[in-house]
Amino acid sequence: MAELKQKRTLEEVKALSREEAVEIIRHAGIIGAGGGGFPTYIKYKDPQPHLIVNATESEPGYQADKLIHKEYLNEFLQLYEGLKAIFGFEQVSMCAHEKDREWFADYQEHAEGGLYEMRYVPNRYSLGEEKMLIHHATDTEVPWRVETSDGERRPGMPLDAGIIVNNSETLLNVYRALFLGRPVTTKFLQVYGEETDLKVYEVPLGASVTEVLRFAGIDVENSGHLSVLDGGPYLHDMSIEELGTGHDAYVRGTSNALLLIRKGATAYKEYVDIETDPPEEDIVLLLGLLPEGVDLPLGGRYLKPATPLVSVGDEVPYEQKIGEPRGEGFSVGVWASVGGTVTSIERGIVAIGGGAVPMEDAAAEAEAEAKRQKAVAKARVLG
Amino acid sequence: MTYVITEACIKAGMCANACPVDCIYDAGDHFIINPAECIDCSFCDPVCPVDAIYPDFQLPEEMEHYKTKAYEFDFSGMEPGFG
Repeated sequence: MAELKQKRTLEEVKALSREEAVEIIRHAGIIGAGGGGFPTYIKYKDPQPHLIVNATESEPGYQADKLIHKEYLNEFLQLYEGLKAIFGFEQVSMCAHEKDREWFADYQEHAEGGLYEMRYVPNRYSLGEEKMLIHHATDTEVPWRVETSDGERRPGMPLDAGIIVNNSETLLNVYRALFLGRPVTTKFLQVYGEETDLKVYEVPLGASVTEVLRFAGIDVENSGHLSVLDGGPYLHDMSIEELGTGHDAYVRGTSNALLLIRKGATAYKEYVDIETDPPEEDIVLLLGLLPEGVDLPLGGRYLKPATPLVSVGDEVPYEQKIGEPRGEGFSVGVWASVGGTVTSIERGIVAIGGGAVPMEDAAAEAEAEAKRQKAVAKARVLG
Repeated sequence: MTYVITEACIKAGMCANACPVDCIYDAGDHFIINPAECIDCSFCDPVCPVDAIYPDFQLPEEMEHYKTKAYEFDFSGMEPGFG
């Protein structure tokens, strides 16, 4: 079986079997980075004729995915070629908002070679949702309900229309796994909202939210009038209700933004018209720049916890595998996002370097994220 | 575009809990989505225990009047959810 931690040329990637590529994606720990958190390898176990790249990050003010596409153009072009060869996609469509036509001009130019096509969709919030995106971007409809073999009905999914939808960052992670042999150890996210211009960071998974905010120039200790949302004005979890009180949270595999709002404000009413500009410094990598440790959940939304491969007291280098995916259920690999000493393994969370936040906070956050699955996020996996 | 709640609604309230923008109201016999507030996120649809919610572009013809009702409904002064 092909190993994850191995660089590959385009020709070597194209020579991978579907099973090998799926295993690499699974072991690399790739989940839907757009917020859904659904394990990506599951989608590729049942490849479809049409791949849609969802580059329509829809939350008001978001810029990160556009920056990813700007910085990694050649990587995406190689990835599309590799994925077409491995999984037999007949069609690859990149979907972007109408307002971003100019931003994607380079992609439009390269699309003329026929490797993929650009499709522009209305500047609506809902286009981040997969079924709505498909409705606007293709001539196909995802069926409203589908009869299952046991006579039950379930909501239709993109695969029922012959389509796989992946978000931009998710696909960059697939590129890194297949071509560079690198697992997922970071999350791209934007910091924006009150008292700050938008900044986009690539942050070690499990890092302290407070540390990220400090790096962004927020005076955390004197900002008790602010709350921090993990997400945008519409879809989010409360990350830190009151800054400067000592409560903290960690960066999740599904964290797309840290939005600073006035404490007590209703984000979807008061911040929906927020306007941002892409940052001058583009994406800033925070690896090695945050002093605290990290908290890394072995499982998560939809995911059975991986089997820990480390013990308390072990020294782990950056990108060492610390969790082996289970053979049953949805499960992906977990990798050290910083180097350091494993200081605890409790409640399914591995803390390295003392952890990012107190274990109570970390456990509460993991639990909150899992609960969210039952209500809101359910629609994402189905869609 | 909007999502539309139809006659099968039993007012279980799960849609209102799932809605991130609080655009689902109690209209008496059934719940109703305010088209002016709906962001088409679809979160209400799969949590409905009786499959009463459709995106308007997939609404069965015989249920079109629920969409008309939603567009004509007077939501002024109402609180979302069970009110």
